[in-house]
Amino acid sequence: MPTLIYGPGYRHYDLGERHPFSPIRAELTLDLIREVGIDAVPLVPEPATVDEVCTIHDPEYVATVEALSEGREVPDFERFGLGTADDPIVPGMGEGARQLVGGTLIGARRILSGVDDRVLQLGGGLHHAKRASAAGFCVYNDLSIAIQEMVDAGMYVAYVDIDAHHCDGVQETFYSSEQVMTVSLHESPEFLFPGTGWVHDLGRGMGRGQHLNLPLDPFTDGDSYLATFDAVMGPALSWFRPDVLVVQAGADGHASDPLADLMLTSRDYETIFRRLVDLAGRHTKGRLLVTLGGGYSLDAVTRVWAILGLVLWDLPVPDTVPEAWRRRWSQVLVDGAPEAMHDAPIKPVALRHEIETHNRQTATRLLDAVAPLWL
Amino acid sequence: MFVEEVMHRDVVTVSPAVALTEAYHLMQTGGFRHLPVMDGGRLVGVVTDRDLRLATSQLADRPFSPEARVGDVMSAPVSTAYPRDPVELAARTMRDARIGCLPVEEDETLVGIVTVTDLIDAFLAVTGARRPSGRLELQIQGRPEEFATLTRVFAELDISIASILTTQEPDGRTRVIVRPETIDLREVSRRLCSEGLEIVWPPPLACQP
Repeated sequence: MPTLIYGPGYRHYDLGERHPFSPIRAELTLDLIREVGIDAVPLVPEPATVDEVCTIHDPEYVATVEALSEGREVPDFERFGLGTADDPIVPGMGEGARQLVGGTLIGARRILSGVDDRVLQLGGGLHHAKRASAAGFCVYNDLSIAIQEMVDAGMYVAYVDIDAHHCDGVQETFYSSEQVMTVSLHESPEFLFPGTGWVHDLGRGMGRGQHLNLPLDPFTDGDSYLATFDAVMGPALSWFRPDVLVVQAGADGHASDPLADLMLTSRDYETIFRRLVDLAGRHTKGRLLVTLGGGYSLDAVTRVWAILGLVLWDLPVPDTVPEAWRRRWSQVLVDGAPEAMHDAPIKPVALRHEIETHNRQTATRLLDAVAPLWL
Repeated sequence: MFVEEVMHRDVVTVSPAVALTEAYHLMQTGGFRHLPVMDGGRLVGVVTDRDLRLATSQLADRPFSPEARVGDVMSAPVSTAYPRDPVELAARTMRDARIGCLPVEEDETLVGIVTVTDLIDAFLAVTGARRPSGRLELQIQGRPEEFATLTRVFAELDISIASILTTQEPDGRTRVIVRPETIDLREVSRRLCSEGLEIVWPPPLACQP
């Protein structure tokens, strides 16, 4: 049985009432996961310590976050990307961020010790946080911290990021590491935050050829997404031979997401999740650590992440959303509670063929670029 | 942006008396294509890898031997730049003369070299995301008050702007590409629309009529 990780402390990573990166997303998902029949008592993590956070982050940055979080005055916090619209200063944000880090970290440790092979961390995925800077809703980079722990134990880690935004923070941490591969499928940096993640960003030094970026055209649909995914993922993992697969399962590639422009449906996500489980079975003896991430349409992310849970627990996806869940959260689901677990089919976009052609070329260009490095 | 901000300062040069083979090896080992030719401290020409290849090609009417002198095949006279020239002037000079580099001289002393590659780097610095940022594209008439409105809205929401680029549309209007330092463009888009500015990217945030 997989292990589910979630703690009530995750609610403290709350950047404000109107902030899109709301902890309610995970809370609703947890409830839906139970209602659709996943019989798992979440493992409640301890918050990570400041020392653990400092394995990746600059101590001065961490001290600043913690001080602001406790309401103390700190001069010059702007240079750390704090106090912005995306990363406002909120009481308790340091502890809240360490709660999320603690969850991802305990997931990594359970895989390291061999207790678990499949773990779902129902939170985290803060892939934009840099060594000494907050960015894009992310204060502490739980992924980098957890991956570093596995790297220190000698593991080779393949990190796959399906969030619609490029994983600039994680990529930067391990850009010259021999032991980490990052693969990111995201909407093209030409059009979407954070503006990085081009095909030619392949890594540095020992990490050269181990950072794979697949910038997708805006309005890419599921078929083209999956074709791109399939073209790269198998060859990459066959070459790299990782010990563990870490996945940031942001769901903001969904067609209804308000912050990005990809066109994935819940069915596409189900296929992606099945592919990831399959890849873990083939390449990492089933070792798979999955976190949440971006995803800002409450209706979509709760269903997509519940489907993620069902796939990880090897359960079928039911047709309908349980009535009890819909009733319980009707006040929160302001745009209406969905009745079906899966989306209704969406209309093909106008430039579908052109987008598909361009994405296919992107995958080819990437494979051509790494070919001499993968000998 | 000035030439001195993008040029290379450690310039490898040759004398017109050196053999083509030596110039060729300098380029190969140094990984560059342009060699200023200096005679007695004075810039007298530029020799490029293309000059060498064309001069020694078997397809030439009378190919030069590898032992020929650089002074015999170099391009002269030389177009040069001044350190405080704007990069766009350097780009225009290279484009008009159809050449790939400009030695940079100040007071008749060679102080650097600027190449097409340096200009591409400058272009990337101007157009790229220097800091994590999204992208918003607007179409405006180009009136000063429109720019004032644009920056005021960002200031009111306390969202930093990583870069602003403008281009002229064929119809005379101005396309403005803003890279705001935020992942969530919704509120700023709403405000810009309500202030009468037209958003063309991202399409879902385009102003409702």
